[in-house]
Amino acid sequence: MSDFSFWVILSNLLLATRWTILLSLIAFVSGGIVALALLFARVSGKPWLERLTRWYIEFFQGTPLLMQLFLFFFGVGLFGIDVDPWIAAWLALTFWTSAFLTDIWRGCVEAIPKGQWEASDTLALSYVEQMRYVILPQAARIAIAPTVGFSVQVIKGTALASIIGFVDLTKAGTMLNNATFRPFLVYSLVALIYFALCFPLSWYAHRLERQLNVAR
Amino acid sequence: MSLADKTPAQASLVDIVDVRKSFGQTEVLKGVSVQVARGDVVAIIGRSGSGKSTLLRCINGLETYDAGAIVVDGIDVGLYAKEGNLRDLRRNVGMVFQQFNLFPHLTAAENVMLAPTVVNKVQPVEARELAAEMLAKVGLADKAGNYPSQLSGGQQQRVAIARALAMRPNVLLCDEITSALDPELVNEVLRVVEGLAREGITLILVTHEMRFARDVGTKLVFMHRGKVHEEGPPKELFANPKTPELQNFIGSVH
Repeated sequence: MSDFSFWVILSNLLLATRWTILLSLIAFVSGGIVALALLFARVSGKPWLERLTRWYIEFFQGTPLLMQLFLFFFGVGLFGIDVDPWIAAWLALTFWTSAFLTDIWRGCVEAIPKGQWEASDTLALSYVEQMRYVILPQAARIAIAPTVGFSVQVIKGTALASIIGFVDLTKAGTMLNNATFRPFLVYSLVALIYFALCFPLSWYAHRLERQLNVAR
Repeated sequence: MSLADKTPAQASLVDIVDVRKSFGQTEVLKGVSVQVARGDVVAIIGRSGSGKSTLLRCINGLETYDAGAIVVDGIDVGLYAKEGNLRDLRRNVGMVFQQFNLFPHLTAAENVMLAPTVVNKVQPVEARELAAEMLAKVGLADKAGNYPSQLSGGQQQRVAIARALAMRPNVLLCDEITSALDPELVNEVLRVVEGLAREGITLILVTHEMRFARDVGTKLVFMHRGKVHEEGPPKELFANPKTPELQNFIGSVH
């Protein structure tokens, strides 16, 4: 095992980190797009639409992400379709992310005073126009900090995808550990890399939050 | 833009017939009827809780009513509201609020331009001219580029009036538009409204400004406990209130 030097371990982990970053980015972007669509339904004022979205959110918030990964990976497989771990991880993380983001953004939309809705109502704007030109530009300002903060959860969430065979940072760590039997070193490095990815984001989120409070 | 001289004066622009409305157990409108002709300046006065704001908000569908009918320029408000189709109505009915409700992320000019561009598809260049014209009308030509937070309360309210006017409404609803203002800022807003009245724009105002109601109004509606208690020409009513309630009310606010 002596041919696995520290640098070999580290470089292999860093190579696998690419996939963690890529999966995080893709899941975050697609989750955000789904969340935006869900947000329109969630605050539409139409009871059945709002209830439907609420159930969706409750389901994905109220079950472990790991179960959701299994459902997509094995569940779809039941229908004879061979699911690539990539696809399963992407789908599960998209749904999971969208549920949380919709909920975060709903809070931001609801923080906008009722008078803004009424004023745009009386100017004959439609619901979509109200959201686009009046509500969302204001809500976005409040939403940036918690959204950036949540992106940290997405990055950490991708670690679970290793269990269904997606070769990300965590999976690479497991494989390297099996080869080197140096779990403390390997997993310390894995943790450090995750921290290096997440810490700047949470730091930035806090800074945004402070700026916003000052601006208010 | 004078709407007053086109149509026969007797045809009502806003017809409110026996409107009832309850919030839970409390009936706030108990059969209210008011006719508003083109060019009228109707001042609705009364104590808080008399239902005057609710009545005003029923006219453009911000509140729904339970019984009766409101017809604005041929549009049955209750019927359109049920179909979720208030856009046509609201294009023609402007509203100004007590709390201004300007869009804080947009400049004064952008506030005024938004609805014409988005709803009426006016081209940006024309919309900018329209905004300049409307802001000039309320005496704020030089504030086009300012954000609401950079304006005084009185200026904000005048921008809100310009914003409503930019849609060229047939009738403008004003819901206690000076009540949130510092006393020294009230007059600049009232002067703008007076100018609109002189232009012949139909106005329905819920107001506590008695002198304004008397001097500018063409019709006074005194609401008391969810009903129209007394109505008529403002000067007459103020000089000779027929009911003790109106007498008391006038006495208490003067």
